[in-house]
Amino acid sequence: MLRHDRKRQGTDFVEPDLPITPMLDMSFQLLAFFIMTFKPAPTEGQIALTLPKEEGGQNISIPSPTDENKPKHYIVTVAAADNGTIEKMTIAEEGAADPKGKDLGASVANYHAELAALSAQLAREGKPGKLTLRIGDKLIQEYVVQLVDQGIRAGFNDISPVPIDPKKV
Amino acid sequence: MSHGGSDKCEPNFTPLLDLVLQLVMFFMLCANFVMDQTNVEIKLPSAIAAKALESTVDYAIYLNVNEQGKVILTASDQFTDTEGKVTDTLDNAEQVRIFLVRRAKEDLAAAGPAGKDKPPRSVIVLRVHKECSFEKTYAIMKACRQAGYLKVQLRAIRHSGAE
Repeated sequence: MLRHDRKRQGTDFVEPDLPITPMLDMSFQLLAFFIMTFKPAPTEGQIALTLPKEEGGQNISIPSPTDENKPKHYIVTVAAADNGTIEKMTIAEEGAADPKGKDLGASVANYHAELAALSAQLAREGKPGKLTLRIGDKLIQEYVVQLVDQGIRAGFNDISPVPIDPKKV
Repeated sequence: MSHGGSDKCEPNFTPLLDLVLQLVMFFMLCANFVMDQTNVEIKLPSAIAAKALESTVDYAIYLNVNEQGKVILTASDQFTDTEGKVTDTLDNAEQVRIFLVRRAKEDLAAAGPAGKDKPPRSVIVLRVHKECSFEKTYAIMKACRQAGYLKVQLRAIRHSGAE
């Protein structure tokens, strides 16, 4: 504790004095409390999703050959393993002759590469793209977000996740 | 704190106190920034494409979905079920639908005549635990759609992509 003589010898001058030390002590205690309890929240962000139009179903319609501006609709089917990871992925264009589509395996890198190639092709044709993810029930959210994230990064803005079997949900 | 004519040597605490109080203020403000809409139990997945909530979005409904697919309501929200029991969790998709239908009605009433024939003004922000299955997540998304909300935002931890 600091000590100050309020009245100095040999003069009538009285200096007002504010005891700073207790305030500093308290401030340090507060500072220590906030430093110890400080936990910076991780920066969160959002991914916008379009909900499917039909109740529980896929937003699939028959393409009209006359409609040039209609987006090309790609459907990625993601089968989930029992532990919630990706088992297998296939990609097909809506209304394509081969309904099974192209096999992408379980690799997210293959999925991204395929989508990036399709997106580049759409950009050349000047057409918008739409992506529907038909996802197995057991797939965990971490992989769902990963697939949507890769889809957006590949250039698709309209992404709808739907279950493989909508009647079950 | 100069003492003219005094032979005492005294440290000057004022700048130190200023600095300490500024630090205290910083930590107090940071502590207040932790939003009450969020729930620390929810471990979010990470995504590079995740963007900050648009500044144009004034109204948001936060749904914190845990690993079991139950919605944990925020401190300001409560749910009264059909039996009159008040809870702070929504255990199934039907309860989510009922909760959101009520919120949609409130939204439409608050929007007034200008909001007539439009979807509810609030944006639904889904904070889903990274281990939650898609079956449960989709059931909640379906309930959002049934309540009249057209779009949802999935929350994720933003990261730059550099490991």
